[in-house]
Amino acid sequence: MTELTASADRRRLFALLSPAYLWLTLAVFLPLSAMLFFSFLTDLPQDNPDWSATFDNYARFLTNPTYAILMWKSVKLGLMVTLGCVLIGYPCALVLARTIKGRARETLFLLVILPFWSNSLVRIFSWAIVLRGNGMLEHALNWLLPFELRLELMFTTHAVVIGLIHSYLPYVILTSYLALQAIDDDLVDAARSMGASKLTILRRILLPLSLPGLLAGAVLVFVPVVGSFMEPRILGGRMGTYYGTLIEDQFVSVYNWPLGAALSFTLLAVVLLILACASPILGKART
Amino acid sequence: MSRSLLPLIGKLWLFAILFFLYAPILVMAAMSFNASPFYQLPFELSTRWYQQMAGNGQILSAALRSVGIAMVTTLVATALGTAASIGLFRYDFAGKKVLMVLLFPPIAIPWLITGTAMLIFFFAIGIGRGTPAVIIGHVALALPYVIVTVTARLSSFDITLEEAARSMGANSWTVLRRVTLPWIAPGVVAGGLFAFAVSFDQFVVSYFLSEPGDSTLPVLIYTAIRKGFTPEINAISTIIIAVSMLIMFLATRYSRFAGDR
Amino acid sequence: MKTFLLSLSVAALSATGALADEIRVLNWQGYGTDQDFATKPFEEATGHTVVHEYFNSEQEMLTKLRTNPGAYDVVMINATFTEQAAAEGLIAPIDTAALPNFDGIPAKFADDPMQKIDGAQYGVPWTWGLTSFAINAQSVDEAPSSIEALWDPKYEGHVSIRDDAIEAMQIGALATGQDINDIKDIEAVKDKLAALLPNLLTFWGSENDWNQSMASGQLDIATYWSGSAVRSIAQGLEIEFVIPEEGAIGWLDALSIPATSEHKAAGEAFINWMIDPEFYVAWDKAGSPAPANAKAAAALPEEAFNRRVLGDPEVLARVQFQVPVEDATKEQYLEIWQTLKARQ
Repeated sequence: MTELTASADRRRLFALLSPAYLWLTLAVFLPLSAMLFFSFLTDLPQDNPDWSATFDNYARFLTNPTYAILMWKSVKLGLMVTLGCVLIGYPCALVLARTIKGRARETLFLLVILPFWSNSLVRIFSWAIVLRGNGMLEHALNWLLPFELRLELMFTTHAVVIGLIHSYLPYVILTSYLALQAIDDDLVDAARSMGASKLTILRRILLPLSLPGLLAGAVLVFVPVVGSFMEPRILGGRMGTYYGTLIEDQFVSVYNWPLGAALSFTLLAVVLLILACASPILGKART
Repeated sequence: MSRSLLPLIGKLWLFAILFFLYAPILVMAAMSFNASPFYQLPFELSTRWYQQMAGNGQILSAALRSVGIAMVTTLVATALGTAASIGLFRYDFAGKKVLMVLLFPPIAIPWLITGTAMLIFFFAIGIGRGTPAVIIGHVALALPYVIVTVTARLSSFDITLEEAARSMGANSWTVLRRVTLPWIAPGVVAGGLFAFAVSFDQFVVSYFLSEPGDSTLPVLIYTAIRKGFTPEINAISTIIIAVSMLIMFLATRYSRFAGDR
Repeated sequence: MKTFLLSLSVAALSATGALADEIRVLNWQGYGTDQDFATKPFEEATGHTVVHEYFNSEQEMLTKLRTNPGAYDVVMINATFTEQAAAEGLIAPIDTAALPNFDGIPAKFADDPMQKIDGAQYGVPWTWGLTSFAINAQSVDEAPSSIEALWDPKYEGHVSIRDDAIEAMQIGALATGQDINDIKDIEAVKDKLAALLPNLLTFWGSENDWNQSMASGQLDIATYWSGSAVRSIAQGLEIEFVIPEEGAIGWLDALSIPATSEHKAAGEAFINWMIDPEFYVAWDKAGSPAPANAKAAAALPEEAFNRRVLGDPEVLARVQFQVPVEDATKEQYLEIWQTLKARQ
């Protein structure tokens, strides 16, 4: 990497970064700043001229245990789904990048993402048909197995986890693939010729070198899952109340944007804190 | 384990996971051919929903509009996102960490809140509503996904390759075009595919910012929740997946984008 | 058909802009105004075209009205929100003289203080119905007569209610013998709901969910809206809507014209058609809530649920109609509801 010395470099950097970040500023950062401002108000300025500044909306998070309980439940869900995606997705990426050759790779690469060019709500409703009692999964298993099996998966936390892993798996598969595919074959061949076992190659070469890709995928899973509310609501039944549903309610059921915004920024803070705590640990694992 | 067994198990695993990924898609397609409006079993073959859909101008125009918006979003977000990733990767500068962290708010904060914020902000500054406003929002939400994905690929890029090319007299543009871009192509393609998926499934921004009568497909689908939608939605979704699959298979015949080996 | 065409053309001619306008309607999707039998005859008779935009919650409907001045010409508002919309200046009074069909609407709806504010008609009562529960006729032999059936351990794991704080609290109020609009003993409702939750399979969120869960036999008994029950039955689902002895929640939906509408006359013509008996009869066939127009109710087929059951004064006497809930109360209910759900 180059240090910013010449002014030509600075100009180039500006040209590369500014379009994306100006766009984000206009369409996301400024609007969200307005929401951040609202989160410190008693009322929205357009509704009530007597609005004033307050920390109450954030204090609610501390005083009402429901918020903290559901935050923890959502973080656990995020960790579970991320772990699931990594354990399932990384081996897929490994196979795709190191075993499959030729045009088949392009095809499989596309096949991984294609299901997500459909509507998430339609996909969730389809999962409901598969998972529900007397649904497709139970029919299929009972046809295969000699004994009667009742799974009762629908409307449980399991159903939520299955639905979410499904929705976010492609991120882990493709980002891990991008990093794994980049590893030089010669490096692996050299290790093998020196007698390294497959496990050693995986542990000492493939995993460390592909870690940035795996982590990028894990972040793309963990961050949105903590705030998810649609999958939990439909698949989780009465177990499906999570932190994301609390936020949604403040906008949809009642008109309390300040509290909804405060809950959202608390979520953001918690997510960033977790990522900040995780990064030195993961950074150490890399070396 | 023997040398030949491991790759076999790996391939089986990959295909099992592909089946998992396609399970709901297959169910969705099956239900588009099932006569029952309540997805009831046993299955009864019918093209009723396709016929109804063919006569439903609202769904068809919404689907076309969604495809159009997603394509524009993909192009813009991929171009801007790739440029930003290269900038973030190639140079060291103060505030780089901050720029990376700034990618998280749009992913972490539920789209409902971001969408509501966009609505009030766009009205306050005069962008208003309409297809351009929708695209501005979609691109912004897709950008972090592109940047994170392309950066993941760039992290394994050997910067000395660029330096070598430059030392042989290539200018920056040539280096970018002949060395850097081919290397990160798989990341760019993946980022673009994610961008398309983000836009194509994006409900909130379109819901708040599109003109009456100019609904996108997700808006039609999500607002149908309360009063119930018909399997026409399954029918149009099935057609979209089938057509995308066809286009993608053609793409794999004529280009190599998953990286050389 | 003749009368309706006549009344339509009268309305169209009396409109200042007898030219064709594009009317923009804001409503739930699939709720009467947007189906072919609603828009086609109107468009043919008047030359106006009808374009729809949908909302997903009342709060979002209000947000859309606030942020999009001039974008809509007709908006469907639940009666409990009309007052707020009027107070915020989002909707304008309607000249009922321009609506020939308005005389069919009985005073109990038309003069309701939620619709007629300071003598001005802000909402045209359109349709009404009940929130109660329905049973799955495939698995429940005899319809229960009490709302206690939702708590019956016999149905454990096969019960569902909607994930809505106000609706849940009001059902709790019915079950504890309280006024749904003035819940005095909140603790009793809380305890009652806490006892209900373990009996539930899930919260339903949409008619889709509801219909699928009933059709697949996962549910025996679940809260539902009367209009939706009529529709599900029309689509072939074997269910029965129950109005228990404890009573049921009544609601009224009305049509209003946004204050910033630029096609007020065309909007009025559309509302007039929406309260025409011809329209209600067509809608009832597809499955609809009850007409707010008494003439229309009388024109329904005799066996229609909306005439046979909801036209029965004995049934009506048990209905408690919803009145607006104050913001602070809404937030209190939401907090109670969220706390109960979080304990699951």
